[in-house]
Amino acid sequence: MARRRGLTAYGFLAPGLLLFAAFRVYPLLDGLRLSFTNARLGRPAQAFVGLANYERLLEDTRFHVSLWNTLFYTVASTLPILAIPLLLAVALNRGTMRTVLRGAFFFPFTLSVVTVGLTWLWLLDPVVGPFNYYFGWLVGRGRSWLSEPGTAMWVIIATTVWWVAGYYLVIYLAGLQDIPRDLYESAALDGAGAIRSFWAITLPLLRPVLLFVFVTHIIGSFQIFGQVFVLTQGGPGDSTRTVVQHLYETAFQNFFAFGAASAMAWVLFAIILVFSLLQFRLLRGHTEL
Amino acid sequence: MSRGRDAQGLLLAAALGALAVLWLLPVVWVVVTSLKPTANIIRVPPEWIPWPATLEHYVEVLFSSSRTARIGRAFVNSLVVSLGTVILVVGTSALAAYPLARMRFPGKTFVFSVIVGSLMIPNAVVLVPQYVLVQRLGWLSTYQGLIVPEAAVTFAFGVFLLRQFFLTIPHELEDAALIDGANTWQVFARIVVPLSQPVLAALAIFAFRSAWNDFLWPLIAVNKAEMFPLPVALALLRGAYSSESYGPIMAGAALSALPLLIVFLIANRRIVEGVRLSGLKG
Repeated sequence: MARRRGLTAYGFLAPGLLLFAAFRVYPLLDGLRLSFTNARLGRPAQAFVGLANYERLLEDTRFHVSLWNTLFYTVASTLPILAIPLLLAVALNRGTMRTVLRGAFFFPFTLSVVTVGLTWLWLLDPVVGPFNYYFGWLVGRGRSWLSEPGTAMWVIIATTVWWVAGYYLVIYLAGLQDIPRDLYESAALDGAGAIRSFWAITLPLLRPVLLFVFVTHIIGSFQIFGQVFVLTQGGPGDSTRTVVQHLYETAFQNFFAFGAASAMAWVLFAIILVFSLLQFRLLRGHTEL
Repeated sequence: MSRGRDAQGLLLAAALGALAVLWLLPVVWVVVTSLKPTANIIRVPPEWIPWPATLEHYVEVLFSSSRTARIGRAFVNSLVVSLGTVILVVGTSALAAYPLARMRFPGKTFVFSVIVGSLMIPNAVVLVPQYVLVQRLGWLSTYQGLIVPEAAVTFAFGVFLLRQFFLTIPHELEDAALIDGANTWQVFARIVVPLSQPVLAALAIFAFRSAWNDFLWPLIAVNKAEMFPLPVALALLRGAYSSESYGPIMAGAALSALPLLIVFLIANRRIVEGVRLSGLKG
């Protein structure tokens, strides 16, 4: 009887597990194996090279720059991505226009990263883009935002905030709706204003949601690629080159060095894993996940 | 007090409304640009009303035989891949989530933990080995080479989402059907699936969005222009064009937003619900 139940269960599971084992589990392990070889595109014979790929990463200055840029992007984008949707959500939590406005802010999230990149590329075109026209009118002179090392990464950050803010806004709204209304009412009776209530009630009770947004954002940030590919291709110089852009070029554009790229992938994985585990530690204390 | 509150609320609403308009301006600019004749596109100061308006860029990207015609084909490719992914993801994860929610069997906890644990695998990490695998299967530049890996990524999320929902279905319904002589498959197909339509729809939308918008995997898994999905075709079109040819690119960008916009308008509440489920409850 128990055996038949097991068979039925695995019958249901079989198609999914097959898909999962072949295209998630196997590639993950195969990537680890590749990182210890000198595999290249179209070279079937792969020699085991031990830690050589990892050792080379220690000396690869372009990889260091990519890692640094990725880190910079992650840190610099965190505050706007946590705060802007939160402020919007608090402001939108009540009021009749909520649904329409929420839709307006959510809309960019339905666009693909490529569409988002092209949109901003056009908007910021140094000659005919409208942004520079108005900016120049305000400040006197426009700039080529994407070809200056000092501003290119900030454009990528602004683009990303614009793209994903609506998604986090919806998540915050869901969290806000779970906060009991009478908490605010009794706070108001005690003379607390809107700002006081925000710090004393909203923020503490939203802690698990904030944490979720924070960690989701960090894990996503370490893998940023599409915005960079469309907007700057890593330039000017290497000022916006990120780890995944570097990995992509190493494996599929310049060197077709699968072994070296796999080592990069696993370094990236290790970093992300640390953050994910941290998330579980932090979340466990506050929600029953 | 209430008068002050009202004025404050009105001010806030006006500020938010203005911000929302500002937020959508980049999109408006894309649509406006796509409707202008080429000569007007590069005019300074920027013209926000596309007059005279023209659909020539849309016609060009959808029907012309020039290199931009790839957009039309790419649109079809993206539809095939996204719908294929939806069917594969919803099918496999519904089947898998059912025993994980409703049956007891050896290995259950292990299977579930491995699937959920895989949510932590970043896509970028499996890029190279997945390419090696797909190449070996002879699936480069094919629909299955895009659909199957795409579905495998969303599968874990689907299992998690659906299992949470299946857990909430009352056992009495199942028991009654079993007493009436239904087998497990019939319970699944005739009771669980119909009851789960909202969450299945949310998963379908989620899978459609991520397949429709995916960029990195198709960028490497497809090397024949006629098999490019929309994001890849658009990104590479950008490289081939000078800034004077923004018209077709913007028309392509606007077209690429259309299917999701339609889905969004039809299923607005479900998307929000799906985001909620995926973000917090999931």
